[in-house]
Amino acid sequence: MLWYKAWLETRTRFSICLAGILILCSYSVFHGERQATSWVDGRYYNYVLSEGHALLALMWVFAVILLMMGGLLREEALGAAPFTLALPVSRQKTMAVRIAAGAFQGLILAVLPWCAMYLVASILGKTFSLPQTAFHLLLLLTGGSVFFAVSLLASSTLSGEYTPAVASFGTMLAIAAMLGDKKLRIFSPLAFMMGTEYFNPDTNLLVGPFPWAVAAVWLSVAVLLTWIAVRVITKRDF
Amino acid sequence: MNILPVIETHDLSKRFGNTSAVCNLTMSVAAGSITGFLGLNGAGKTTTIKMLLGMISPTGGGGTILGYSIRDPAESLAIRRRVAYVSESQRLYDYMTVAQIVRFTKSFHSGWRSDVEESLLRSWALPLNQKVKALSKGMRRKLALLLAFARKPELLILDEPSDGLDPVGVEQLLEAMVAQCGEGTAVFFSSHQIAEVERVADRVCIIHKGQLVMNASLDDLRESYRQIDIVFGAAPNEAEFQIPGVERIQAQGCQMRVLVSGNAEQVVARARMHDVNSIEVAPIGLREMFLDRVKEN
Amino acid sequence: MIFFKLNTALGQPLYLQLMQQIRHAAENGVMQDGDQLPGIRTLAEELVVSPNTVAKAYSELEHEGLLELRQGSGAFLSINRRSRAIADRVQAARRKAECLVEDLRAGGLQDDQIWRLFETVLFRGAEISAKR
Repeated sequence: MLWYKAWLETRTRFSICLAGILILCSYSVFHGERQATSWVDGRYYNYVLSEGHALLALMWVFAVILLMMGGLLREEALGAAPFTLALPVSRQKTMAVRIAAGAFQGLILAVLPWCAMYLVASILGKTFSLPQTAFHLLLLLTGGSVFFAVSLLASSTLSGEYTPAVASFGTMLAIAAMLGDKKLRIFSPLAFMMGTEYFNPDTNLLVGPFPWAVAAVWLSVAVLLTWIAVRVITKRDF
Repeated sequence: MNILPVIETHDLSKRFGNTSAVCNLTMSVAAGSITGFLGLNGAGKTTTIKMLLGMISPTGGGGTILGYSIRDPAESLAIRRRVAYVSESQRLYDYMTVAQIVRFTKSFHSGWRSDVEESLLRSWALPLNQKVKALSKGMRRKLALLLAFARKPELLILDEPSDGLDPVGVEQLLEAMVAQCGEGTAVFFSSHQIAEVERVADRVCIIHKGQLVMNASLDDLRESYRQIDIVFGAAPNEAEFQIPGVERIQAQGCQMRVLVSGNAEQVVARARMHDVNSIEVAPIGLREMFLDRVKEN
Repeated sequence: MIFFKLNTALGQPLYLQLMQQIRHAAENGVMQDGDQLPGIRTLAEELVVSPNTVAKAYSELEHEGLLELRQGSGAFLSINRRSRAIADRVQAARRKAECLVEDLRAGGLQDDQIWRLFETVLFRGAEISAKR
């Protein structure tokens, strides 16, 4: 019943984040639409969607950091770690369930808001490009996996109830601040998520083939950080 | 009855940096018995228990529980299937209700005893739908104990189980421990409440500064530990009374108090060889025996 | 139903105390031949002592012939002719002691004086005395 535990632990956070993101993304599309001027429908519309996506990307990172708070170190700070450690489950399995549950929640937090934006757009009578959506989503998930892993690693190495979350936020802000410059942008997973590299400001569309290679690099980074986190927890004395 | 010891350690050691928390601990706990584990704060009780359960990795030596090695992760898992543990901190998952955490724990153990669960829920009056964080300290402790007892494990390891319980709660705890032992579960519990240990334990292990300083049956201790008060006619020679079995001698003028862990008859015989006004031999409690072992020599 | 009382401060193993109390009960007629004693687990839970204590007491008494442990049914008192004779003697002795104490009291002695008197007489020859 580790899945049940993971759900009980995160359901409040998850629900609030999901509701918040859905509302904000839907509203940003709706609001953007009402501010329509005489721009060509297509171009302005894509601009609105890409803005919605940028908002989603940022909020998604916040949400994932919040959701990945937890694990054995947090339980240690709260005193419940001996109970979990005494269960007839290996530490790897405990972590694996937490990671999988978090990943699944992250997936939902990316897909559902896009569905909401699609819905709002359709209601307002706008067309929608599925390939574009897929592009945006894949960018978000592959780039975002790095923040997921950073959050996991922070919660596995830093003691305390809230310290890991603060550190993860800090990392995100540092990346945004220091790697926002044009030349350093390729090193920023955040920029990758936003898709600035592949964004054509004239058409407001993502162009070119999907950057599978770069995505693979980011995913590998995420996998490496995750592996480190699991090893740290497995070897630790509690 | 099973002759294999339930807990066995060989030179079990743990160093944290330059400090040695547990040093060459070699002990053996018999099946079907209740063993008390005494020691001062920081003596190494919790560290030892955590090493037994795979939460801390030893820096030296090793041990087995129910025949499974404590140092091997796969065997450690097998240990946790058969051993129930209640830790010092009685925190559980704050966000779960009593009912939820019972269901959660039950799902890991096929041998769950619903009758024990129901009986304890009733007699300890644990509110099923209340969240754990809303329970009082004593209730949380009882919940943690329930989750261990209802598993019907082969071995119960309890770290300061009566901490946070009022006198009625302590009585209920001891009854439940005795009941578990009666059904074949071995019990290994650490405690600061020496009176509790005296009542229910078959054996007692004392750990001091990371080392085992006593491992004896309470019956043997009761029969052999004595306090002998002697009033001599003239000031005696202490050195004469330093025979095997004598733990401590306090002398003041013509009065002498001797604490023995055995051989009381020999001390009395030696005393009678002098001019004595009175000799009194009295039994002493576990508290005095413990303090004698752990006070600075 | 007998009430047992085990004392951890007496310097005597608990199982020995339990054995003595069961023997006493048999000698004084509180328990009759064939009476059933509580099961090991039940008695242990009632007295809040280790079941091993009760088990050892029952086992030793079985060796002495005072108890009969029947598989599945429990422990039954089995006062054979020898124990019955002992029980009768103890009862007769008690009546004598009661008369003597009454006489001593009538003679003006206080109860604690009588106590010390008996102690001196009994323990004079012993090497070790466990003090009350």
